[in-house]
Amino acid sequence: MGLVREVILGSWSLITGMGVTIRRYGRRAITTQYPRKRLEMSPGYRGHIELVRFEELGSHNCVACGTCVRFCPTHVIKVQGEKPRARAPKRATLYFIDFSHCSLCGLCVANCPTRTLKFSTEYEMAHACRWEGVVDLMQRLEESA
Amino acid sequence: MATPLPESVIEQTYYLNMGPQHPSTHGVLRLFLKLDGEYIIEADPVVGYGHRGHEKMAESHFYEQFLPNTSRMDYLSGLIYNHGYVAALEKMAGIEVPPRAEYIRVICAELNRVCSHLLWFGTYLLDLGGITPFLYAFDDREQIMDALDRITGSRLTYCYCRVGGVARDVDAEFVRAIRAFIERLRSRFEDYHTLVTKNVIFIHRTRGVGVIDRDTALRFGCSGPVLRASGVPYDIRRAEPYSVYPRFEFDIPTGTAGDVLARYTVRLQEMEQSLRIVEQALEGLPEGPFKGRAPRKVHPPKGDCYFAVESARGALGYYIVSDGTCYPYRLKVRVPSFGNLQVLTEVLPGTLVADTVAILGSVDIVVPEVDR
Repeated sequence: MGLVREVILGSWSLITGMGVTIRRYGRRAITTQYPRKRLEMSPGYRGHIELVRFEELGSHNCVACGTCVRFCPTHVIKVQGEKPRARAPKRATLYFIDFSHCSLCGLCVANCPTRTLKFSTEYEMAHACRWEGVVDLMQRLEESA
Repeated sequence: MATPLPESVIEQTYYLNMGPQHPSTHGVLRLFLKLDGEYIIEADPVVGYGHRGHEKMAESHFYEQFLPNTSRMDYLSGLIYNHGYVAALEKMAGIEVPPRAEYIRVICAELNRVCSHLLWFGTYLLDLGGITPFLYAFDDREQIMDALDRITGSRLTYCYCRVGGVARDVDAEFVRAIRAFIERLRSRFEDYHTLVTKNVIFIHRTRGVGVIDRDTALRFGCSGPVLRASGVPYDIRRAEPYSVYPRFEFDIPTGTAGDVLARYTVRLQEMEQSLRIVEQALEGLPEGPFKGRAPRKVHPPKGDCYFAVESARGALGYYIVSDGTCYPYRLKVRVPSFGNLQVLTEVLPGTLVADTVAILGSVDIVVPEVDR
């Protein structure tokens, strides 16, 4: 009798389990059909960094202090700046980031003294070549204008 | 007259390498098994394939720069690793953390624990041959990832905690999403029980298999659900309370049998308890700043410090030795998976090869954390 009972209970557990699966057939798919549909990135999403355009300056406010360079754990940032004229504050003229080594920790954004860095919402970052991972932030800023 | 068989034929033992690229080891782990027919005589986990030298790396980075490394050791509960590291630094340097930041940390850590257990639930049943629960678990996990993505900006290797607070404040939308998720997951547990826990095949595969008794678990330094399934109600959140955990009511689920089924049950119950904690934390989430006053670079005073938190896999400890500069003199991470993995040398002998995957999966190791 014990065996019969066990077989019946076992079979019933399989049937009810199957029921859970079958009920799902009536519901719509939960995945986004990616290339045809695209998700809106959340406000806090971390893509690679980019320069902020300040309205009052009409441009970025990077003073090439090098804080981001020093804080970066993987040393992927390269900044160069020059003074437009004597006694004027320094301005960045070149800003490169090698995104292929970036770990998106956000220390550069958190420590920027002029708050001129932010995360972009770029998410299609697959490359065929290593050098395509290097992003020219200055060029990006000019193109976005 | 029969010729006596030579000695080498009578002793029919042979060696089997399981891994390093076996799909059910979830990483690069090699199990060196000595077999007699279908039975395991000796088991020897060979670790170190994924060694990246995180502890050595810490010595050449200043304290904040090590933050992204923490979530890359155990990539399934990265936020808890973040939390443990910054909490150790704050304890060392005597930095105050605003209550709102502590609450946010607890909410995120518990959600990360649920996320980690859900992934374990899915992949473990995949190891046992059940494809469907994996899809459901990932569906639920996706909800947490979306909510965490909203505030932390990443989906897996979070670098969210900062010394003195967190990187970004939570908003009302996040709170709403998490409340809705808690409701949803609670209703889904019933489906999980119908689909898996009551399933006769699952019960036969797991009951009485891979029993880790209380003494063995304690002897090998097991922690987390593995230890609690063996009947020891040890949880760092209760034993050495940190952050704001003493303010919340929650139970510590324990098992008695110490077998695979007990570990499964403990993890499922733990998810329910985590949801309880998140619910209470959302209820009492105080207003205020999400980041307190902290120096840009921490210079902890000379000395050493050990700080332990309860990760999804067990007791996670950071031991930091400081020489007064902004670089750690030595950083040691005590990871839970290492102890949990070593217990296999004791548990696997005497079991069938077919059960190896069931036992290995049930201790829930993350190999990069073992190797680090």
